[in-house]
Amino acid sequence: MSNSSDIIIIGGGIAGTATGHYLARAGLTVALFERGYLCSGSTGRCIGGVRQQFTSASSIKLMMRSVQLFAQMDQELETEVHWHPGGYLFLAHDEQKKQAFLDNIAVQRAAGLRDVRWVDAAEAKEVVPLLDTGGLLGGSYCPSDGQAYPFAVVNGYSQQIKQNGGRVSTFCEVTGILQQGGKVTGVKLANGGEHFAAAVIDCAGPFAGEVGRLAGIEVPVAPERHEALITEGVEYMNIPMLVDYRADGGYFQQFKHNGQFIGCYSPVPQVPGHSADSTYQFLHEMPRRMLKLVPALAPVKVIRQWAGSYEMTPDGNPLMDQTPLAGFYVLGGMCGHGFMLGPAMGEAMAAFVRSGAKRTPYPEFALQRQFAQAEAMK
Amino acid sequence: MSSKKQQIICRCEDVTEDEVLAAIAQGAATADEVKRLTRAGMGHCQGRTCRRLVNGMLARRLGQMQAEQRPVTQRAPLQPLSLKVLAEPKD
Repeated sequence: MSNSSDIIIIGGGIAGTATGHYLARAGLTVALFERGYLCSGSTGRCIGGVRQQFTSASSIKLMMRSVQLFAQMDQELETEVHWHPGGYLFLAHDEQKKQAFLDNIAVQRAAGLRDVRWVDAAEAKEVVPLLDTGGLLGGSYCPSDGQAYPFAVVNGYSQQIKQNGGRVSTFCEVTGILQQGGKVTGVKLANGGEHFAAAVIDCAGPFAGEVGRLAGIEVPVAPERHEALITEGVEYMNIPMLVDYRADGGYFQQFKHNGQFIGCYSPVPQVPGHSADSTYQFLHEMPRRMLKLVPALAPVKVIRQWAGSYEMTPDGNPLMDQTPLAGFYVLGGMCGHGFMLGPAMGEAMAAFVRSGAKRTPYPEFALQRQFAQAEAMK
Repeated sequence: MSSKKQQIICRCEDVTEDEVLAAIAQGAATADEVKRLTRAGMGHCQGRTCRRLVNGMLARRLGQMQAEQRPVTQRAPLQPLSLKVLAEPKD
């Protein structure tokens, strides 16, 4: 096998495989190196939600593109990714939240997301008949948001990379970034080998900072532990992803393809670091929070819990840029939205790399930016 | 009649021997990868039945020593528990 390619990608999650797919499809030779197995990082631990309800125009538009890509993905990747537009319903239990959602809806509609709308408590009950609407003012509802199956998506992208002449090497850790005269020239591998390319993309998710440091580049990504659980499959109840931002809220949805409920919440305080440990507290708290919203789920059984990392940036926006080391790029810092943003971000990243442009087409995703505002809908 | 290759390996997720072999042919070299490609081990029993069968198939196909295979992570709860039971106040 050749020891050089056009592009090297570090990381076999959604960011790396999607970017690799769009580059390989454009005729470039891609070599992807993954330290573990495909999906062994954040992507394989996410709960598979896909929403367009963001608060900045560029994120909303990227997510609208992702939804288009998910909708055509079975054909594009020649596999079944279980895309289902089951919707997202953000719940408001106080006036402040309601006003924030109304403001967001205006921004989202202005960005072109036409089917997002405010629903009052009675209409929320029509959308989700099993919802306990006690204390509910209403919610922000977008029926074209949805869900997909992360393992199938990443595997599908990976198969396409290989079909288009690229290689995907698992259990193959990158231990060094090679450079010469201010330009990247390739990577060093844990097995002692080297692989050469004029472009290297850091798609290492929660480890993007560590990979950046291999090249002496500061990539501001900090991992945070988030826990999740999944139930047995039961009859599909047409429940959209429910998002409850209250202090004891959470988010969960039901997969249409197999009827399993899957959910998580954001811990307070945050849990920084690479830990993937599960806690008993979560296994107790998450069911309590789910039943508060949908009491009818009481008999449904939990079969598994796990944890994974969000890859946080200081302002909650992703990173998509070329670093000060020419040819060394970063795509990451998705802050818990990597799976949903991945298809559109991968496509945009591939176009950016192919363009040869120095700077990112998205100034708000630049590596060196003022990290001020925080994305509100985390 | 079903062929031998349609034998069920993971009875919780209805995964057949054929499907596991296809995953191995596609490049899966660990039980973790077989699990994510086929869902073998993702069901009610958490792989208690299929884990050894999958490891055996990997060993035979790829010449692995079973003692040296990477174990898949064991996750709580040990047996399925209802949301109601888990949500009950702790004492």
